Amino acid sequence: MFLRQREPLSFDRSVPGKRGMDLPKLDVPAAKDTRPAHLKRSGFDALPELSEVEVIRHFTRLSKWNYGVDDGMYPLGSCTMKHNPRLNEKVAGLRGFTDSHPMAPDAFVQGNLGMLFTLQEWLKEITGLPGVTLQPSAGAAGELTGVMLIRAYHLSKGAKRRVILIPDSGHGTNPATAAMAGYEVVELPSMPDGTISFDDVTDPVNGKVRKGLKTLVSELGSEIAGAMITNPNTIGVFEYRFKEISDLLHSVDALVYMDGANMNALVGVARPGDFGVDVMHLNLHKTMSTPHGGGGPGAGPVCCAEKLIPFLPVPVILRDTEKVGEGEVPRHTYRMEWNRPQSIGKVHSFYGNFGILVRALTYCLSHGGDGLKTATLRAIVNANYIRTRLKGSYALHIDSPSLHEVVFSDTNQAKHDVHTLDIAKRLIDHGYHPPTIYFPLIVPGALMIEPTESEDKGELDAFCDTMLQIAKEAEENPDLLHQAPVLAPLRRMDETTAARKPILRWTKQL
Amino acid sequence: MRYLPSSPVEDRALLDTIGVPNAEALLAGIPEPLRLRRELDLPPTGSEQEVFGQMLDLANTNTRFCAQFLGAGAYDHYVPSAIDALCSRQEWFTAYTPYQPEISQGTLQHIFEYQTLICDLTGLEVTNASLYDGGTSCVEAALMAVRVQKKRHTVLVSRGLHPLYRQVLETNFAPHDGLKLVEVGLKDGVTDMADLQAKLNDDVAAVMVGYPNFLGAAEDLTALAGPIHAAGALLVSVTQEAFAFGWFEAPGKAGADMACGEAMSLGNKPNFGGPFLGFLAVKDAHKREIPGRVVGQTKDLEGRTGYVLTLTAREQHIRRDKATSNICSNQGLVALRANIFMQLAGPEGLRGLAEQNAAKAQYLRARLLELPDMEAVPEVPFFNEFVLRYKGDYAALQEACLKEKMLPGLDLGRFYPEYKGCILWCATELHTRQTIESLVEILARVPATV
Repeated sequence: MFLRQREPLSFDRSVPGKRGMDLPKLDVPAAKDTRPAHLKRSGFDALPELSEVEVIRHFTRLSKWNYGVDDGMYPLGSCTMKHNPRLNEKVAGLRGFTDSHPMAPDAFVQGNLGMLFTLQEWLKEITGLPGVTLQPSAGAAGELTGVMLIRAYHLSKGAKRRVILIPDSGHGTNPATAAMAGYEVVELPSMPDGTISFDDVTDPVNGKVRKGLKTLVSELGSEIAGAMITNPNTIGVFEYRFKEISDLLHSVDALVYMDGANMNALVGVARPGDFGVDVMHLNLHKTMSTPHGGGGPGAGPVCCAEKLIPFLPVPVILRDTEKVGEGEVPRHTYRMEWNRPQSIGKVHSFYGNFGILVRALTYCLSHGGDGLKTATLRAIVNANYIRTRLKGSYALHIDSPSLHEVVFSDTNQAKHDVHTLDIAKRLIDHGYHPPTIYFPLIVPGALMIEPTESEDKGELDAFCDTMLQIAKEAEENPDLLHQAPVLAPLRRMDETTAARKPILRWTKQL
Repeated sequence: MRYLPSSPVEDRALLDTIGVPNAEALLAGIPEPLRLRRELDLPPTGSEQEVFGQMLDLANTNTRFCAQFLGAGAYDHYVPSAIDALCSRQEWFTAYTPYQPEISQGTLQHIFEYQTLICDLTGLEVTNASLYDGGTSCVEAALMAVRVQKKRHTVLVSRGLHPLYRQVLETNFAPHDGLKLVEVGLKDGVTDMADLQAKLNDDVAAVMVGYPNFLGAAEDLTALAGPIHAAGALLVSVTQEAFAFGWFEAPGKAGADMACGEAMSLGNKPNFGGPFLGFLAVKDAHKREIPGRVVGQTKDLEGRTGYVLTLTAREQHIRRDKATSNICSNQGLVALRANIFMQLAGPEGLRGLAEQNAAKAQYLRARLLELPDMEAVPEVPFFNEFVLRYKGDYAALQEACLKEKMLPGLDLGRFYPEYKGCILWCATELHTRQTIESLVEILARVPATV
């Protein structure tokens, strides 16, 4: 599976005089040196000297120590690791797109603007929300943009609000975002199924009372700017009282932000704009299959209700349609509108991760409206199949119907002193990428599995068989799990020392 | 649909195991009134051939220029073939954030090498796995400076910073009532020292300066660092053209405490502005305040060297509302492109490319100045971009260029009223002498306006 050979750091391979790049012949006079002496570039300490052959081998060998979506199932919950179509890559590499300059006049980038406009129309129909910006570079950037829209909305009404409500089952980016947008975070307690508790909750351990949504809304009232709610939540359960939640928040003119990380469960089935959401982001690198790239680039477009449209970041992409005679095809032209007095401003240097947006539209056009809905249903069926096959061996966190992902806890295995981390690491030995672990925080020893629609029955069965075998190993030979992984290029890593005595770059050994 | 692998028979088997008649039955958790009671009003499934045709039409609708003399934050450089070839390996482009180090050593070792090289370019000690782009890197740098400099709330921003980066900064500072962004003016194309000194006080956490700035000029970081450090503030350099690191001294060695900006030039095309590559490098003393993913070297159980995500106590998934930033996904694959680019180029390649960029820009400037309508503005050391005053009509010049499929420099008046009538020109290693001569010929024919 993996390359067993060690690959050294390229710096340790550097040999003076080697070159991986030949420069074109200079056909103009050499540069005159007008730099003051202290601004002249001095030497480099790390840049290696390598030939092209060595660089290509280095990055090819390193790549073999990674696990990718084409290696097999990648069941990371909430991450939606679906198939990455090659057509999307090919289209994003078309020179008409890649060579286009972001400062070129609108008339010369009509293809780009048309592409962006079309993607916006698809996202509007999918979310049921009439406003869109494609600028945010990732989910967290989308959250920040969305929360700033909420802030601008309240400011436009002459009110500054202080608080954002966030359920304790939410992604860490939610509270981090609210803080970056200048808000105080008040945590909403959740029920065991991760849904928001309307009533106060008494902690069974310490007897502390945590205020539920009703109490918080009545006590904080117009200090609440909004709530950030993941739906379906991080347990994979639809927030079934969503309409009541949004009505309650709207009663104090607080707005509802939906974290769209789990939108893969809803496309074609339910639309946030129809059930009370004012603003949300989509993770195109999840829902629309754009590749994760080992940590990005993603794209986090924000969709919003009519009342938030004036505040959208600039520029906004608009379409003008020229009137034509009966029976003729209307001619469209596209333009960027920069002059929007109520806009929150810019959230990206230019217009977002354009190349990722190209891939997302390609995904949408390939699926079509019908294919998008089928994909959603398949993702839900796949997750429920895993749930059905594993629930006898692994403890289901809750019994309520779940959608595109399923969350188990390690309580059955803990009896044998085997914990979630051990199960995850053992999966590596069996050739799988582990699921998301220890998240959501409200589930002890969580194993959050999201198969996506990209797996067929054969793959799902192979994965389930493996999980069942691991459950058996946990009973019979727990040490096998404690030692895992043993078949990966490396064993478990010393993360404590890494954090305590950080080595964050290579330095020359003198 | 070609991306959905289950056959109808398999589907049936899955549903039977679950014990439901059809997939819709699994939607029971979504209350009926909240469901979409119709099909999406969108076109049907498209074959690969059809979709490729549609997208190709869009790509071809853009004008293909034979030469672009426009930089302004997005630079057209040659991209070595090895980069696309390597980055199209599924092990690189489909993998997730390296949360499971044992099967993510490829990504982790790459990020460690990338961090090493960004530190080398900037002359600083610690960096992260990347930020979104130049504009948001300024936001992270400014917010970090305020965190590091407890009890200081003002960030001074040179007017020479990319105007769109300044807009991104303003957007992100607006929600913070206690924090202030104050602009420092320009004099002769660089940060006005007198204005800077007048605005420095004990509330200033940091001063952000373009290096080179938006007008292409090298700011004298060393001269600026004196008064800035004397006032107890940090000097943050903002570089929008990473090739300049091969020409001008590393900001960390010239006096900057932090360096941020845009590194798209390292192995990427302009791509209509994204995905690009934000970076932020800082001093070792500030490492626990840096935002985003950081990779560190460690050992496995058997004492073998390996790499992990580290210092995670700063991050959103651990610290939630107390995190140093909300950033999660970053620009991983673009950082990989930059890493491969830097390793191919090596010290000689990077220096050589920088020299060629400087030479081309100097030649372009000299040739343009031979035109009667072009005038010099006070000259400061520049890299591959420079400003000239144009006595003619920009619209006419633009039209003449576009007719010949040449993209001219930027009309500076759009962002700087005080530079109305000035054009920001850019040349890189891609511009041959011939394309420069062609541009000059075209401009020579533009009718003079009265």
